[in-house]
Amino acid sequence: MADSTHSDSGTRFANTNVLADPARAAQLRQEFSGWLSRYFKLDPIRASDVVLAVNEALANAAEFAYSAFDKPGTMHLLADYEPGTAVLKVTVADEGTWRIADGENTNNTRGRGIPLMRALADRATIDSSAGGTRVCLEWNHVAPARQPVT
Amino acid sequence: MDSRPDPARNVDSGGAGSTCTLEERRVDDISVVGVTGVVDMLTSPDLEKAITDAAKSSPSAVVVDMTNVEFLASAGMGVLIAAQDELSPTTKFAVVADGPATSRPLKLVGVTDVVDLYATLDEALSALRS
Repeated sequence: MADSTHSDSGTRFANTNVLADPARAAQLRQEFSGWLSRYFKLDPIRASDVVLAVNEALANAAEFAYSAFDKPGTMHLLADYEPGTAVLKVTVADEGTWRIADGENTNNTRGRGIPLMRALADRATIDSSAGGTRVCLEWNHVAPARQPVT
Repeated sequence: MDSRPDPARNVDSGGAGSTCTLEERRVDDISVVGVTGVVDMLTSPDLEKAITDAAKSSPSAVVVDMTNVEFLASAGMGVLIAAQDELSPTTKFAVVADGPATSRPLKLVGVTDVVDLYATLDEALSALRS
């Protein structure tokens, strides 16, 4: 397995090849949340929405993606900010298989992750293939912070 | 079915990780579970256990007070739905939450259609007493 790699700037946050387990999902969420508050000016509702939606994508990768495999694989979090359009695009990818159907089990105690992502993001797409799953979450009208908040 | 034990979990969750503090107290015959911090995949089993423990002494109601919760993921919402299913009809169940990180997502995915939500603990207690 490749070592995990990490980078961040005002237009990009990348943390790839992270072991897909719950503890690392939580850690990755916190790192992403730190990046978001450092480089962007978001009201509390939007900031909370972005972090929760990204968490749900990471949680699915950590909980479901490799459940049929002998050992967990990796997950990748990439966030790109386009200053010209003020769009923030976050991609969470894995090389596993999700076994939950979209919209299923919404009355059950599980399965609220996908409805949450759809409700919280301006656009949410989930592409599953034999090679893995890619969740793409986008938000419009994201304003950068004037100075990075340190 | 997917909860295989992961020996690395305890080690890794210690760092900057997910901290959740749970405190149970009694207000007359109502059991209040106060939650502080993060309720996510890692900490929601602790919340589940705290609710189960709180119901053991046969209170008239169990209230989960999330006033001081800073992050609530779907894993925690599932615990609230399960608690509602398990406690009713003998014990009433309610959640206290108000804010972008808690009451907002609970409403967005319809948890509040199933679980009674109050903005403050006082409101919850007076509703449950009546």
